[in-house]
Amino acid sequence: MKRISLRAVASVARKEFLHIVRDRRVLVLLLILPPLFTLIFGYAFETGEPTNVPALLINRDQTERTQRFVGLALKNKTFAWKIAPPETQNEGDLIGRHVQAALVIPAGWSETLSNGDPKPLPFYVDGSDTNTADALTGSLQRSLGEFQLGERQVMIDSLPEEVFELGKKLPVEVRKQFTSAMSQWEVKPEILYNPKSRFIDYVTPGIIGLILQLLTVTLMACTIARERESGTLYQLMVTSLRRSEIVLGKIVPYLAISALIILIILLLIAFHFEVKLISPLVLAVVCLLFLLCSLGLGLLISAISRTQTQAIQFSVFFLLPVFVLSGAFAPLEHLPAFIQGVAEIFPLTHFCRAFRLVNLYQAGPSFYGIDLVVMLLGAIITFVGAAVLLKRIEQ
Amino acid sequence: MTSPVISLNALSKSYGRFDAVRDLTFDINPGTIFGFVGANGAGKTTTMRMLCGLTRPTRGSATIAGADVWRKRHIVRSKFGYVAQRFSLYRDLTVAENFRFFAGAHRMSPRQVEPRIKHVLSLIDLETKRDAPAGSLSGGMRQLLSLGCAIIHDPPLLFLDEPTSGLDPVHRQQIWDLLYNFSHRGVTIFVTTHYMDEAERCTEVGFLARGSLLAKATPRSLIHSFRVRLLELYIEPIMSALVELRNAPGVLGVSLRSGRLRIYSADPEGLLESWRSQWPFPDLHLKGERWVEPDMEDVFNAYSQGYDAMIGPTS
Repeated sequence: MKRISLRAVASVARKEFLHIVRDRRVLVLLLILPPLFTLIFGYAFETGEPTNVPALLINRDQTERTQRFVGLALKNKTFAWKIAPPETQNEGDLIGRHVQAALVIPAGWSETLSNGDPKPLPFYVDGSDTNTADALTGSLQRSLGEFQLGERQVMIDSLPEEVFELGKKLPVEVRKQFTSAMSQWEVKPEILYNPKSRFIDYVTPGIIGLILQLLTVTLMACTIARERESGTLYQLMVTSLRRSEIVLGKIVPYLAISALIILIILLLIAFHFEVKLISPLVLAVVCLLFLLCSLGLGLLISAISRTQTQAIQFSVFFLLPVFVLSGAFAPLEHLPAFIQGVAEIFPLTHFCRAFRLVNLYQAGPSFYGIDLVVMLLGAIITFVGAAVLLKRIEQ
Repeated sequence: MTSPVISLNALSKSYGRFDAVRDLTFDINPGTIFGFVGANGAGKTTTMRMLCGLTRPTRGSATIAGADVWRKRHIVRSKFGYVAQRFSLYRDLTVAENFRFFAGAHRMSPRQVEPRIKHVLSLIDLETKRDAPAGSLSGGMRQLLSLGCAIIHDPPLLFLDEPTSGLDPVHRQQIWDLLYNFSHRGVTIFVTTHYMDEAERCTEVGFLARGSLLAKATPRSLIHSFRVRLLELYIEPIMSALVELRNAPGVLGVSLRSGRLRIYSADPEGLLESWRSQWPFPDLHLKGERWVEPDMEDVFNAYSQGYDAMIGPTS
């Protein structure tokens, strides 16, 4: 029976490790880029909410009341307001003024707040990317709500004594109804799973997955293609090495290096960005399966590519949809069902989901078990596929 | 009678409609230096790759030490070393690391490896380059290293695909001295070559043309298979003579050797007789003539160009 020789696997692994160490550029790529990317992505995604968005404020209603609202709006961290003179025309020209939003307070606005017909404030907002408009409008709406509450208090405080006298004559039920109607009705959000609502906590698996997917797939894809290009593959084939030994020997050093990279990234994320890591052992299993799956994919690409150039091209074509559709940076649930189905074939999708289930939801294995199984299956299928394809080139 | 090391039985390879190798049937006995000779594209490399289990035969079969080269390729591979046509070792690994890798790949036990590397290094005279990257070696040294890696597991059989092409005469000599050395210790050697002086050094030569084996014999009997002597003419101007004589009736071919034209013809005596009575080339001046014995290059030309009328059966 075919037996795998540890000695043979070790000799391939040692050789492969030497290739990595000898190629200074790849080594630098492996050691410098992952932590650097982590820092860049980490800072980029540290807060999910937009802040300091340049916006234009045109106040044509120079009253004391309006000034109170402007004061509140200026405190809103979402916007970095530029005050424009009241006579400013053509308010909707956002790009021409290098802003993303423009708020217009029309003349007589404060008047309408008292005369029983409050007018809405015109708010021009950049809707080119689909998230910003909602976030900016919501934030401004909150400022306006705050303003309304304050104004209501002012109004109540300045009500003439007769009104209160009159009120006391009303039946208790009516008074209660009136009070309830006057107070703000609100939801009390109980934010679960990511109570501080920090985007970095959500996006951590995305950062890890993105970097590791890129490195493992492209590097692995080049290994066999490189041997084929340089003719050494035939030299390998005429030794007593079996295909499984070649495949295993090639996986081992990349697995070790990828694991080290993941460790570095996780340490950075945990200590620098203060993301709490729940049950590191389970996370390690999730990462390991993801790595095996990615390496298997790289190996598969490697086996179908004739040259390293081809291997890189195949990798890029594969990785592009993965980056966009895997839910690394945005929830998959926002995508149409069909696309979600497509996303299910990417290991990064399952990695991100499992990582979040463990680290954000603190869910049990019954929730993320299916993702682990899918990644394991992916690893097995790609490894076997690569070995079969390698067999084909023998003939 | 010893049993053959390599035995081919109607071994054939087709790529689509193109027959690269057709029905090769022959044996190679232990200790032989078998020179496989043929023009580019004759099928030498394909044959060698089938024997190494790198390419699946379309038809027929071959055995090495009795084991089928395709079905038992994993067993057979421990029994031979292979030096490819292209330099195909790891350029970023040092000489010693290349050796260590191939020793490990052949499952040699770690205790054996280092003494063996030392021995092979002294054999190929590369002790000083032990820790140099393989990619930094000169062409000749690379070829010696390839040979070293092919024999690291001390195989009884060695395949070499044009091992000396592109090498300087000193390294060519060094490679051949090593091959003689191995042969002397009982290693069977299967080598393809373009160089006829190298073919002459083999104990046996096989001629391959368009995928078929035309002859297989010792160099001596191949040379003796010529039916005719060869006519060499000294003609001026020699370059126009080369062109005109090639098209002359009765001439199969002409080759230029040391300033003289060697005429391939089924009946050179008759040809010379007729030219003496009536010189058909007014612009050419015949300055001299002589008869020479054929050598391996003539054999190669005759076989590869198909001058069948000049060759008889080999003994």
